[in-house]
Amino acid sequence: MAHLPDGLLPPILLAGGGAASAAAVLWGMRAVTPDRVPQVAVLSAVFFTAALIHFPAGLGSVHLILNGLMGLVLGPAAAPAILVALVLQAVLFGFGGLLVLGINAANMIFPALTAWLLFKRLCPPHQAARAPLVAGLLAALAVFLTSLLVAACLALAGREFLASAAVVLGTAIPVMVIEGFFTAAAVGVIARTRPQLLGWPS
Amino acid sequence: MIRPLALALILILILAASPAQAHRMKLFVSAEGAEMVARAYFVGGEPAQGIDIQVTAADGAPIALLKTDPAGQARLTAALRQDHLFLAESQDGHTAHLRLSADQLPPHLAAAPGPVSAAGPDLDRIEAALARQVRPLKEQIDQLESRARLSDLIGGVGMIFGLFGLWAWKQSRRETKS
Repeated sequence: MAHLPDGLLPPILLAGGGAASAAAVLWGMRAVTPDRVPQVAVLSAVFFTAALIHFPAGLGSVHLILNGLMGLVLGPAAAPAILVALVLQAVLFGFGGLLVLGINAANMIFPALTAWLLFKRLCPPHQAARAPLVAGLLAALAVFLTSLLVAACLALAGREFLASAAVVLGTAIPVMVIEGFFTAAAVGVIARTRPQLLGWPS
Repeated sequence: MIRPLALALILILILAASPAQAHRMKLFVSAEGAEMVARAYFVGGEPAQGIDIQVTAADGAPIALLKTDPAGQARLTAALRQDHLFLAESQDGHTAHLRLSADQLPPHLAAAPGPVSAAGPDLDRIEAALARQVRPLKEQIDQLESRARLSDLIGGVGMIFGLFGLWAWKQSRRETKS
């Protein structure tokens, strides 16, 4: 459950989320240089599609998020890529809604940026061998942080934090595992073939 | 290397998602005679079990609090012929609501508290039977309407590429000018 629906959250939270993600997107757009545009577009499309892959978990069903992979590969440019995909998910699939777009985007963008910052710190170029492991763990962390933010939003909307956090985090565990392995594999390939995508010298 | 990989990735994701479902909870309510059957499900058909459904009158007065069974269903017998508002909420923030209007309930029910008027029970039985027959059709239409279609998916991917293409074009124009 990463897409909060319209009509659940108080307006102040919508405004706050909107402002935070607008700032991140404006900042991230500077990172979308002409040579990176195709890459941002491809990953935005992947993110858009990934949310349709469902598997049952507990009482409900969950889907892939892939915001960790977005952050690791795109860095700040993940913010506009995620926003574009979320707009289309809301319009075409009815995931979330247009009013809550800002807060949903913030819930996914900031964990992605966290993963990117940690990756730069934990995995400098001379330690490329451990890139898959670090990337996998950070992808799981990004999903975990997104779930935590969603639970916090639900708490601010008047739900009991522990109850909704338990459900949201509980259903996020399979997503964390799957995305961890998926991102580890993807970053492993990228580290070997196109290290410059990770900000390393080629 | 990376471009064919990315294309392959998108292709795999699209194929994996082809019986596409939107991650959204929906609520379907129909009346069979005076009995109202609510069904909560995730788009794609999976039942939403253990969901709280609040039933209120049009003016917000609470009528009942239901919980869905493993088939995602909950039943309630209407006492009055009035609009019923159903609000389903899952613990993790999915919500869905629906209004069952008074004219779907049998006419012999009183519109306000009081003695029940004795309109023909035959008519009631016919209406209930009809409602039972029509219900699967209504449910099917409801599900079809909200299913994310493959065309939506492909359209969305195309839209993303188009949008970033536009962005690249704008940037290249700016560069050639300066």
